[in-house]
Amino acid sequence: MKDNSESIFNMVLASTMHDMKNSLSMLGESLNLILSQVDPELLDEKTKDYHGVVQYESARVNNSLMQLLALYKFENEQLPFNPSYHNLSDFLEEQKLRHIPLLDAKSIDCEIDVDEEIEGIFDECLLSTVLENVIGNAIRYTKSAIKISCSQQQNTVIEIADDGPGYPEQMIVLAGDYMHGINQSTGSTGLGLFFAKKIASLHKHKEQIGCIRLSNGGELGGGRFELIIP
Amino acid sequence: MIFTLAKKNTLIVEDFAEFARSVRAMLHSMGATDVEIVYNAEDAVEACKRKKYDVILSDYNLGPKKDGQQLLEELSKNGHLKSSCIFLMLTAENTTAMVMGAVEFQPDGYLAKPFNGNLLKSRLQKASEKKHVMESVNRAMSNRQWQQALDEIKEVMPKNKKYKMSCLRSRYKALRELKKYNEAFELASEITSQRAIPWAMEAVGEIFYLQEKYEKARDVFRNMTKEFPMSLEGYDWLAKIQQQLGEPLEAQATLQKALEKSPKALQRQKTLGAVAEQNNDSMVMTQAYRNAVKYGKNSAFASPDEYIKLTSAISQQLSKDDNTDSNRLINEVEGLFVNLEKNFVANETTSIRSNVAKAGFHKACNEDDKAEKYLQKTEHLVEKLEEQITPAVSLELNSALSKLGRDELAESILDEAIQQNLDDPEFISKAAKLSNNSELIAQCKQASQYNLKAINLFQKNNYPEAIKYFEGAHKLSPHNINIGLNYVQVLLKQIQSNGGDLKELPVAEKILGKLPTLNGEDSRYARYSELNRLVQLMVQKTSN
Repeated sequence: MKDNSESIFNMVLASTMHDMKNSLSMLGESLNLILSQVDPELLDEKTKDYHGVVQYESARVNNSLMQLLALYKFENEQLPFNPSYHNLSDFLEEQKLRHIPLLDAKSIDCEIDVDEEIEGIFDECLLSTVLENVIGNAIRYTKSAIKISCSQQQNTVIEIADDGPGYPEQMIVLAGDYMHGINQSTGSTGLGLFFAKKIASLHKHKEQIGCIRLSNGGELGGGRFELIIP
Repeated sequence: MIFTLAKKNTLIVEDFAEFARSVRAMLHSMGATDVEIVYNAEDAVEACKRKKYDVILSDYNLGPKKDGQQLLEELSKNGHLKSSCIFLMLTAENTTAMVMGAVEFQPDGYLAKPFNGNLLKSRLQKASEKKHVMESVNRAMSNRQWQQALDEIKEVMPKNKKYKMSCLRSRYKALRELKKYNEAFELASEITSQRAIPWAMEAVGEIFYLQEKYEKARDVFRNMTKEFPMSLEGYDWLAKIQQQLGEPLEAQATLQKALEKSPKALQRQKTLGAVAEQNNDSMVMTQAYRNAVKYGKNSAFASPDEYIKLTSAISQQLSKDDNTDSNRLINEVEGLFVNLEKNFVANETTSIRSNVAKAGFHKACNEDDKAEKYLQKTEHLVEKLEEQITPAVSLELNSALSKLGRDELAESILDEAIQQNLDDPEFISKAAKLSNNSELIAQCKQASQYNLKAINLFQKNNYPEAIKYFEGAHKLSPHNINIGLNYVQVLLKQIQSNGGDLKELPVAEKILGKLPTLNGEDSRYARYSELNRLVQLMVQKTSN
C-alpha cells in the first residue's frame, strides 16, 4: 500500500476546503443578514457596490479552492472524470445564471448563442468549474458585453468573448505555458487558464485531445477564450 | 410550462443552519410558502413518513451518520417519496464521483454549492420538465414492470431527444432485468463504440458477467479502470470477476488499488478482508478489517461481521510465536469484544460467532481453560439455535471450530447449512470440500435437481407433476426453506385450479409448520408469511 500520509493529507485538504467554503458562505450570509435589517431605501449605491464586491470575491475564492482541490486530485490520479452527453444550450444557460447578480449589478449584457439541439460529450462538473472562472474574468475585464457561443462541427467549440481590452499579448504568445502569465501586479495567478488547459486535455476522442485557445479581436473586439472539446 | 413553488411542500435537509436559511429564502422568493428544514437524515426520514413532499433539497454531507445518497435510497425503498417528487442533491465539491457509479436510486439533479436563486430555480424547472416527460417510464421502472417500461420508453424517446441517454439507461436496466442480455448488450456496446461513457462501459462488462463470459468481462473492466482510474465500481467488478476466475491474488491487488484512492469505503474494506483471508494474508486481512471497524464507526452499514473477523485475524497473528507486540494486540482484541457487545444487539448467530471468536482468541493466548469455557457456551447456544445460519457464517464457524478440535459441532453446523442452501452451487462446492458427509451432498444435489425440474413444470402450469417433484425434493431435504415454500405454493395453486378441493391443504399446513423459523430480516420472510396467511385462511374456512 501507498504511504498512508498521502491519503491523510488528501482528507485534510478536502475537509479544510469544506470548512473554508462554509466560512465563506457564513460571511456572505452574515452580510445579507445585516443588509436585510436596513431599510433598502437607506442603502446608498456605495453600500450596494460593497455588497457586490463581497459576493464576487467570495465566489472567486470558492472557485479557486475548487480548482486547487481538483488539480491536487489530478496529480494523485484521484480526480473523477465522467464524460457524458449534455445539451449545450441548457449547460451554457446555467453557466450564465451563476453570474446573474454580478451581471445585473454591473449592467453587463450577456448573450448566449447556441443551437438548442447541440449535444456535447464532457464532464459537466469540471467544465462548469472552468467556465465559472473564465466568465468571471470576462465580467471583470469587459466594458459592456459578453457573448457565450457554441458551435459544433468535428469538435465542440465553446467561445467566450468580451469587449474589454483583451488578453495581454504576452499571454497569447506564451500559449500553453500559462504559469508564465503569473503577474502579481495585475492579480493574475495563471491558475484559471492552467486549470482550463488541464481539464480540456482530459477530454479525448480517438487521436484528438481537448485544448484551449486565446485570442484578441473576436466578435466583440475584446478578449476571446475558446474551449475545444473533441 | 411555468414552474412555480406555490402550493408545493418543500423540505430542506441541511446540517449547516445558515445555509439552510439562505436556501429557504431563495425558495420563498420563488413563491414557496410551505418550506420545512431538518438538520439530519434521520429527521428527514421522520418528516417524509408524516408528509409527502413535492420537492426535497438535501445536502450530500449530512454529518457523521447517513449521507444524502443513503437518505434517498432509504426513502425510495420504503416508498416515502411520491413518484412526482423532485429530489435535488446539494454538494460541496465536485459531484462527478457521486454520479459515476451505477447507483440504483439517482436524484433528479446535483447542485454544487454555493449557488444563487436563479440557478436553483432553473434546476428545479428542468427537473420538473424531465419528471413530467419521463413520468410514465419512471413509474413502470419503480414498479418493476419492465415490459411496460420498455413500451413507455418507445413512446417517449423519439419525441424527446434531450432525454435520449436517460431513456437508453432505463431501457438497458429493463432489458437486463428481463434477462434479454443480447439486446441489452447491443444497446450498451452501441454507445461505447461511439464514445467511452463510464456507465455504458460498466453495462457491457456486466452483461458479459451475467452471460458468464468472465474473461471478456475482465478485459472490459481492466480497460475501464485504465481509462477512468477513479471509477471505483470498475475495480469492484474487476475484483469480483478475478475471484470468479480463480485469481484471488489479483483480486486482492485490485481492491487494494481502489482503496488507495478511497479508503473510507466500508464495504470494499470488508471484501478485501475476505479475499485476503482466502489468500492467507493475515497482515492485509487485519488491516482491512481494522479499517472497516474504523470507518464503520458512525455508519449505518457497520455490522458485527468486521469485529469478529478482525478478532480472528489478530488471533491468527497472536498464535504465531514471533510476535513482538502481543500485549498491544491482546488489548486491541479485548477492546473489540467490548465494543461489539456495546454497539450491536446480539442475535443468536452473532452470539455464537463471538463465543467461537473468544475461544479462538484465548486458545491463541494459550489459555485453554478459558477457551474451553467459551466452547461449552457455544455448544449450548447451537443446541437452542432457531435462526438460519448463512452459508458464509457456516463456513467460518466450521473452520474455526475444526481448528479448536470440535469436529462434531463443526460438521453439524455445516451439514445444516448444506441442507438449507443446496440451491447455492458456489457454497455447495466449497462445503463439499470440507464436509465428510458425502451422502448428504449427494442427496442435496438430487434434491436441487428435483427442485429445478419442478419449477420448470410449475411454470408450464403442470401442477400435479410439479407436486411430485417438489415432494421428492422435500423428502430428500426436509429443512430446506426454499423447497418447502415452493412446495406449498404449488399445492395452493393446485387447490385453486381444482375449484377449491382442499385435499392438499393438510400437507401444506404440515410443511409450513415444520420449516425452520425465519426472522423478519430474511428476504424470504414476506413470501413465507403470505403463504402462511393463505393456508391459515383456508384452514379456518374448513373448520367453520
